[in-house]
Amino acid sequence: FISYGQSITVTGNVSSTYDNSPIPGVNVIIKDSNIGVATDFDGNYQIDANMGDILVFSYVGFETREVSVTSSTLNVFLEESLEALEDVVVIGYGSVKLEDATGSLTSVSEKDFNQGFIVTPENLLNGRVAGLTISTGGEPGSGSQIRIRGGSSLNDGSNTPLIVIDGLPIDNNTIGGARSILSTINPNDIESFTVLKDASSTAIYGSRAANGVIIINTKRGTNNFQAGLDFQLGVNTIINTVDVFSADEFRAIIAERDAQNGTSYSSLLGDADTDWQEEIYRSSIYSNQNAFVQGALFNVLPTRLSVGHTNQPGLRLTSEFERSSASLSLNPTLFDDHLKISINANMAFEKNRFANGEEANALTFDPTQPVYDPDSPFGGFFQYYNLNNDGVLDSEDLMGEVPRNPVANLLQRKAVANIRRVYGNAKAEYKLHFFPDLSAIINLGFDQSEASGYDDIATNSTTTQPNNALGSFTQYENYDRNRLFDSYLAYNKDFGTSSYIDVTAGYSYQKFERKQFNSADRYNPDSEATLNVQTPLVLIGLFGRANLSLADKYLLTLSYRRDGTSRFSKDNRWGDYPAAALAWKFNEDIFPRSNTISNLKLRLGWGITGQQDIGNGALDLYLARYSLGALGSQYFGGQGNTAIPVAIPQFKNENLQWEETTTYNIGLDFGLFNEKINGAVEVFYKESDKILFSAATADGSNYTNNGYQNIGSFTSEGIEFTLNTVVFRSEEEEGFNWDFNYNAAYIKREIKDLTLDQDFLVGEIDGGTGGQIQTHIEGQAPFGFYVYKQIYDENNRPIEGAYADLNGDNQINDDDKYVYKNGSPDVIMGFRSNMSYKKFDLSFNLRAQFGNYVYNNVNSTRAQLELLVPNAVPGNVPKSVLDTNFNSRTTVMFSDYFIENGSFLKMDNITLGYNFGNIFSGRDQSSVRLSFGVQNVFTITNYSGLDPEVFGGIDNTIYPRPRAYLVGANIRF
Amino acid sequence: CIDDLDVQPGDPDIILADDLFKDPDAYKQALAGVYGNLALTSAEGPDASNFTGIDEGTSQYGRGLWNLQEITTDEAIWSWETDAGVAELQRSSWTADNPLVSGLFGRAMFEVALANEFLNQTTEELLDSRGITGQVRTDMPAFRAEVRFLRSLAYFHMLDLFGKAPFVTEEDPGGSDYKGPEYNSQQLFDYIESELLAIIPDMKDPLQNEYGRADKGAAWMLLAKLYLNAEVYVGQARYSDCLTYCEQILNSGFTLSPEYLYNFMADNDSNAARNEIIFPVLSDGITTQNYGPPTMLVNGQVGNTERNGADFGVQAVGWTGAMRVTQRFSQIFLNGSYDTDDRNTLITENRPMEIFDIADRDSGYIIQKWSNMTSTGETGSANEIVDTDYPMFRLADVYLMYAEAHLRGGGGSVDTAVGYINELRTRANNPNLITATDLTEELLINERLVELHWEGHRRQDLVRFGRFSGGTYNWSWKGNAPSGLSIPAFRDLFPIPNASLAANPNLSQNEGY
Repeated sequence: FISYGQSITVTGNVSSTYDNSPIPGVNVIIKDSNIGVATDFDGNYQIDANMGDILVFSYVGFETREVSVTSSTLNVFLEESLEALEDVVVIGYGSVKLEDATGSLTSVSEKDFNQGFIVTPENLLNGRVAGLTISTGGEPGSGSQIRIRGGSSLNDGSNTPLIVIDGLPIDNNTIGGARSILSTINPNDIESFTVLKDASSTAIYGSRAANGVIIINTKRGTNNFQAGLDFQLGVNTIINTVDVFSADEFRAIIAERDAQNGTSYSSLLGDADTDWQEEIYRSSIYSNQNAFVQGALFNVLPTRLSVGHTNQPGLRLTSEFERSSASLSLNPTLFDDHLKISINANMAFEKNRFANGEEANALTFDPTQPVYDPDSPFGGFFQYYNLNNDGVLDSEDLMGEVPRNPVANLLQRKAVANIRRVYGNAKAEYKLHFFPDLSAIINLGFDQSEASGYDDIATNSTTTQPNNALGSFTQYENYDRNRLFDSYLAYNKDFGTSSYIDVTAGYSYQKFERKQFNSADRYNPDSEATLNVQTPLVLIGLFGRANLSLADKYLLTLSYRRDGTSRFSKDNRWGDYPAAALAWKFNEDIFPRSNTISNLKLRLGWGITGQQDIGNGALDLYLARYSLGALGSQYFGGQGNTAIPVAIPQFKNENLQWEETTTYNIGLDFGLFNEKINGAVEVFYKESDKILFSAATADGSNYTNNGYQNIGSFTSEGIEFTLNTVVFRSEEEEGFNWDFNYNAAYIKREIKDLTLDQDFLVGEIDGGTGGQIQTHIEGQAPFGFYVYKQIYDENNRPIEGAYADLNGDNQINDDDKYVYKNGSPDVIMGFRSNMSYKKFDLSFNLRAQFGNYVYNNVNSTRAQLELLVPNAVPGNVPKSVLDTNFNSRTTVMFSDYFIENGSFLKMDNITLGYNFGNIFSGRDQSSVRLSFGVQNVFTITNYSGLDPEVFGGIDNTIYPRPRAYLVGANIRF
Repeated sequence: CIDDLDVQPGDPDIILADDLFKDPDAYKQALAGVYGNLALTSAEGPDASNFTGIDEGTSQYGRGLWNLQEITTDEAIWSWETDAGVAELQRSSWTADNPLVSGLFGRAMFEVALANEFLNQTTEELLDSRGITGQVRTDMPAFRAEVRFLRSLAYFHMLDLFGKAPFVTEEDPGGSDYKGPEYNSQQLFDYIESELLAIIPDMKDPLQNEYGRADKGAAWMLLAKLYLNAEVYVGQARYSDCLTYCEQILNSGFTLSPEYLYNFMADNDSNAARNEIIFPVLSDGITTQNYGPPTMLVNGQVGNTERNGADFGVQAVGWTGAMRVTQRFSQIFLNGSYDTDDRNTLITENRPMEIFDIADRDSGYIIQKWSNMTSTGETGSANEIVDTDYPMFRLADVYLMYAEAHLRGGGGSVDTAVGYINELRTRANNPNLITATDLTEELLINERLVELHWEGHRRQDLVRFGRFSGGTYNWSWKGNAPSGLSIPAFRDLFPIPNASLAANPNLSQNEGY
C-alpha cells in the first residue's frame, strides 16, 4: 500500500490507441509543475512523482490525457486527434494556435476537403473559404484563376495569391507545356491549406503577399503505421453545346436566302447531317490511383511514401492530361527532440496533349457536310479544296477563306509535352541545448521543372506555312528553377498564467531562373530557332514577428519585413512592410460562464504589403537594354546588300517601384453551443497605391508607346461571413450526423485614381483585329464593359446598329460608349453539407456568384445573318440570331445587348459513400469505403451562353467543363 | 547575397547599351534600328510589336501613315470594319481614342526617340571614350545627318497630321519620362526646315548612298514637300522654294523608270525603278518582315471572288478582298483621259462601282497596282510578306509637285510643267497629252490620284486642294453616308490621342475634338 503524497518512481509505456504502436517523444509532465520527461524511442518513460499527482501526457496529433498517479507503473494509450491537429495552423515562418490567431486566416484540412473529381489541388478548397474564388477551366488538368478578396491590383497577372508549399514560395508562372503551376501536384499528398487574407497575417511574406497567401502543407511521416489505396474512375461527358441550326434547318434557311437574293448557295450544300460540335467532343474515362504507406522506418524515422497516377482524357478530341507522382517525407527528430528535421521530396511527371480550340470552327461549319470524304487528299477528311494538279499538295490546292474541318484540325495535330518536376524542401529546426527557448531554423527549398514538347501538324492537314507548305513540326524545351534559402530564429517563452511571447526573425533569399528554347518550324528553312534566357529574379527579405498573448485573452502581433527585388533599380528596390494586429477574446468578460457562447474574439488588423510581380517580360526594366534583331528584323538588305540585324533600345523605367497595399481588417470569431456553431464575420478595406500598370509613356522620350509605371490607386472593400454548424449530432454510435458549412463574401473594387485621368482599354475580344470591350476608368470597378447603349423597338427587340447618342453630338462614335457592369462577382458563396448515417455518408457542395456580368462574345460576333453566307461557302450561326435578326457583326459587336447577367448557382459535387469497415483485417483502423459521385451536377443561371462561370467576363468559345460520373474506393490497412 | 539583386540580362539577344556600343559594328546596327522603325514593329519579327494597345501589324509606321492618309479619303475602302479603329477612319468619325491614330502618333514619336538616342550615343566624347576609331568614325557624320533626316521626317508627319508635336531632341535632359513641350505648326515647320538645311552638306550625294538610306535627294524632297504645303501648315506661300528644291532633285540624276509598274514590284530595289525611287522603306519576305504598306497592298488588293493573288506572287486568296476603291476614285479613272493608261489597273468585271455596304466585298472596283512579282516574272521570297519596297518618295511626285508649284505661282516654266505631266502620261502609254491650258488645279489633283494613288499622299493632297473637309468634294462614306457628306474643317487635322495627352500634360487637344 502506498499512501497519498508518497514519492515514487513511475515507469510506463505510451502507445497509440490506433495501432498499439509506442509513441516516442511524448511529453510527460506533472501537472502544475515544470517537472517533465519525454518518452524514448520505444515509448517508455520514467518520472519521479508523488502519489496523487496528475501526469499530463501530450503529443502533437494526439489528444492530451491526464492520469493520476496510483501505482508505480502507468501504461497510457493516447488517442489520435484530428481536432488537435487543426488547432495549430501553419502561417508564414511558423505556426499559431488557431484560437490565438490575430489575423484573417482560414485553415482547411483533409476532412474538410471537397470530394469528387479533384485533378488539381486547389479544387480541394474551392468554395470552402469566404472571399476565395477559384475558377477552373474545362481542359484536363486545367489550371485555375485564383483570387483572394478579388485581388488588389489592376494588373491581371499580379492578382494571383502567393502559393507556398512547405515553406517554399512557388513561381506563379507556368512552365510552357504544363497545364498550370499546381497541375503537377498530387492532391492526395496534401494535408492542409492555410489561406491568409489580411495584411497582418500576410505581411511576413511582404513582397509577394498583397493578394493573399495560400500555404499548402503536404502530408508528413508519422510514427504510427498506416497504408492505403485510393481508386477513382469516372466518365466525363459534355453537358451542352451552342444551339446552331441543324442540317435540315440550315438547308431551309439557305434556300430561303437564295430565293431572296438570287444566289445559289444551296448548290454548295451536302447531304450529310453532322453536328460538328458533337464531332469534336467525346466522352472520356478518367482514372486516378494513389497508394501510400507511412510509419516509423527502423522504428525511429517517421516516413511517408506515396505514389499516384492520374489520367484524364479531355472532352475535346485528343486532349489529354496524365500525371505520375511520387512523394517522400522524412521527419526525424534527434538529440532529445532538440533537432527536428523535415525532408519533403516530390517528383512528378506530367504529360499533356493539347487540343486547339476548334469550337468556333465547329459552330460555323456547314452541318450538311460530312466529317470524312474518301476522295479528299487531306487525310480523308472533308475539306473545301480545288486541286491544281501540279504534282504537289500545298496551300495552292486549298480554297481560301473557308472554314477548315475542325475534326481534321484536331486529329491531324499532335501537340505533346512532357514535364518533369522535382520540388521539395529540407528543413532543420534546432532547439538550442543551452537555451531551449530559442530555436534556429533553416529551410532550403527547391523547385525545378523541365519541359520538352513538340507540335506536329500532319503534312496533309490544311494548316499552311508561309512557304506554301502544309503542316509543320516544332520542338521546344523549357527549364525553370526556383531556389530558396530561409534562415530564422524563433524565441518562445511561456510566462505561465496563460501568457507567452514568441518572436521570429530571419532572412530569406529566393532566386528564379527560366529559359526557353524553340526550334521554330523544321519544315520551314526560313524560320529561326530561338533561345530565350530570362533575366533571373532575385528576392531578398529580412523579417521579424512578435506574438504576445496575455492571460489567454489579449493577443498582439507585430510584424515587419524589408524586401528587395532585382526587378527595380538600386534606388527603388527596397520596400518596408509593417503590420500589426490586436485580438481580444472577450466572451468571458462579457458573458461569463455562458452556456451558449463558447467563444468570442475580436480582431483588428492593419498592415502594408507590397507587389512587384509584373510578369516575366518585365524583369529588368530599369536597365538600358538593346534588343538585337531576329532573322526577320533586319534592315539594309536590297539591291544585293546583306541585311544586318537592327539594334533597338527597349522600354526603360528607372523609376519603377513597389506597388503597396494597405489593408485594414476587423474580424469577429464566434462559437456557440460549445462550438457546434462557429464562424467569423470580417470586414476589410484595402487600398493599393502606386499601382503597377502598363500605361502610355510620354511620346518621344521612351522606346515604346506603353510601359510599366506606378500609376494611380485602387480600393477594395468587403464583408465576409463564415458559418460552420453541426445541424444534428446523434448521441448514438453510427447515428445520424449532419454538418453544414456556409460562407459568403461581398467584394467591391474601385479604381480610385489613374494618373492624369487616363483611361485604358482592355479585354480583347474575338472578331476583327484589336477589338477591346473593357476599360479601366476612374471611379469604376476594373474591367468594366465599355459599350454602346442599345436602343430597342416597341416589342423590346434590339434595333440593329441603333445606339443612344450619349454625348448628344448627333453622331455615334467611340465618345458615346459608356461603362456598363463588369465581369467580377459582387457576392460569392459556398455551401457544403456532410451527412452520415450508419455506414453511409452523403456530401455535396455548392457555389454561387452574383453580379458577375458576361460579354457573350459567341453571340456578338457569330449570331449575325450575314455570316450564313460569309464567303465562298455557307456557314452556320447560333440560333440566337432569331431573337435579334441582326445582320452585320460590325454594327452590333459593341452593343450592351451582349452584356448578360452571369449570376449562377452550381453544384460542384455530390458524393454518396458507404464504409464497409474493417472487413480486411482485424485492425480497427482498417476500412474500405466505396463512393459514387457526380461532378458539375447542375448550374442554375439566366445566362444564355453555355456556362456563366467565365473568368474575366468575356465568353469566347470556351473549353467546356465536363460533367463527370465517378466511382471511388478508399482502402486503409 | 544582397549583390545578387544586381541582375544582368541573360538573353543572348539583349545587350546593355554600354556593352553594345563597345563594338564598332553596333553603330550601323543602331542606325539600322532608326531606319528599321519605318518598317519593323519589333526586333522579334513581324508578329511582335514594341507597341501595345494596337495590333502589331497596324502599329507599323508606314501602315499607320497609310491608314491616315488613304482610308480617310476617296482612294480606299478597308473591308474589315471589325478591325479596331477602321470604321471611324473611313466614315470620318474618328475620336481621340482611335487606336490607329494613336498608333501613328506614337510610332512617329518613337522615331524621334530612337534618333535622339542614336545622337546621344554617338557624340564625339562618347566615341572617343569608347575608343571607337576607323571607318565607323569616317561614316559617322553621314550617319548622324541621316538620323536627323529621319527625325525631321517624323516631325513632318506630326506637322502634317496633327499640326503639333511634343518636342524632344538629343539636347533635352531625357530620362524615361521627360515630357517634351508642345511645338505648334510654325515651330515645327521652322525646326524641320532648319534641320534639313543644316544636315544636307553631310548627306551623301543623290543615288550615291547605300540602298535604303537617305541621301541629299531625300532631304531636298522633304524640304520641297514642306514648302509645297507651307500655306496649309503655316499660312505662308513658299511655292518658289518648293520649285527650287524640285529642280535640285530633277537635276541630280534621278530618272523615271521606263515602266510605271516597276516601281511597285518585288525587285523595285534593283530594277529601273531604283533610279526613280528617292526614298524607299524596305520590305523583304525573309530579312525585313513586316505588315507594312507593300504587304498590305499586294495582299489587300486581291479580290474576294477574283482570287487573283497568284498574279501578284502571293497566295491566291490574298487577304480575301480587304481593299477596294470608292466610286469617286473609279470615276476619275473612267473620265475618258485614262482609258489607255498603264496606271489604270481597275478590275471592273462583275462588280458594281458603288459600295453601298462596306462589308460586301463583291461591290466596288479593285485594282492591281502592287505586286510581289519581279519585273522578270519571278515571285518574291515568301508568299505573304512581300519583297516590294515602299517608295515613300519618288521622282514622278516631283514632276507633279513642280507643275503644282508653278501653277500656284512658284515660278518655273509652264512648258516644263506641262512637259512633266505629259512625260508621265507617255511613260504610262497614255496618248492623251495635255497643253498649257489644261493645266488646272482640277487636272492636277486628278493627275496626282492617277499617278500616286495608294502611295500615302491623298489626304495631304486633298487638304492642300481644299477638298478634304467641307462639302465641295465628297466620296462614298465620307461623313458616314454612302454617297458622302460634308465634314467639319477641324477634321483636316487628327486629334491628339487621349493617352498621349494623359502622359504629357504639356500637350493640348486640337480644336474640335
